[in-house]
Amino acid sequence: MVQLLVILHALLAVGLLGALTHQAFSVARRPSAHGHSFVDRYRGVNSPTFTNVIVLLFVITSIGGGLLYPRYRIDVRSTLEDLQLRAANGVFEIKEHFAALGLGLLPAYWLFWRPPLAAEYAAARKYVTWMLAFVVWWNFLVGEVLNNIKGLYP
Amino acid sequence: MKSYASFKVFSLIFGAVYMSLFWLNEFYGIAFLRYYPVLGGFYNERQPPETAGPAILWYFWLSGALAASLVVSLVVPRKWAERIPHNWVWLVSAALFVAIFVYERRWFY
Repeated sequence: MVQLLVILHALLAVGLLGALTHQAFSVARRPSAHGHSFVDRYRGVNSPTFTNVIVLLFVITSIGGGLLYPRYRIDVRSTLEDLQLRAANGVFEIKEHFAALGLGLLPAYWLFWRPPLAAEYAAARKYVTWMLAFVVWWNFLVGEVLNNIKGLYP
Repeated sequence: MKSYASFKVFSLIFGAVYMSLFWLNEFYGIAFLRYYPVLGGFYNERQPPETAGPAILWYFWLSGALAASLVVSLVVPRKWAERIPHNWVWLVSAALFVAIFVYERRWFY
C-alpha cells in the first residue's frame, strides 16, 4: 500500500512539475510574435488554463505526502540518523516547510491567475508562480534523492 | 476580482502563522498537538520517546496556520483586504523562504 502511494505521489508530482514549469516559463518574459524555438513554444502555452489543475495537484500531492510522512518518520528518518546523514534530514526539513508555505500561497496564486489576467497582478503573479515552481522542483528532487538514498549512498 | 481580496490575507497570514508555530516549538518546546506514528494517534502532551517513538508536529503547524488564516481572512473587512499591496504576498513569502534556509542551515555543518 505504501509503495503504491509513493508511486502515485511521485506521478502526481511529475504532473505538477510539468504544469508549473510551463507557467513559470510563460511569465518569465513576453513571448515574441515570431518565436518558433523550442523555448518559445514551451513558454507560449495558454498558462491560465493550468491554474486550477496546478492548485488541485498541489493539494492532492501534499495530502499524499502527509499520508506518507508517518512511515518516513519511523523508517527512513531513523535510517538517515543511523547513517549520520544530517544533510539528508535537513533537506527534508526544508521540503516540509516549503510544502506548507506553498499550500498557503495557493489562494493568492489562484487569485493572481484568475482570468481575465489583471495587469495590476502581473508582478505578483510572476513571483508567486516562480516561488511555487521553486518549491515543487526542490520538493521533487529531495523526494527522489531520499527515495533512492540507499542506492546513492551505499 | 475585488471579492477575492481575502485570498491575499489568507496567503499572507498562513505562512507567518506556520513559521511562528514552528519556531514556538523550536525555541520553547510548545506544541498543542503531536502525532505519534508508533502509537497511531494525536496527543496534547509529550509522550515518552522510549515507548511512543518520535512525534510529528507538521500536522499541528499546518492545521494551526489553516485555522488562523481562515479566521483572519474572514474577519478582515473587504476594504482593508483590498488595500493590501499585491506584492506583499510574495515579498513576505520570500522573506520566510530565506528565513527557512538560514535557520535550517544547522543541518549542513
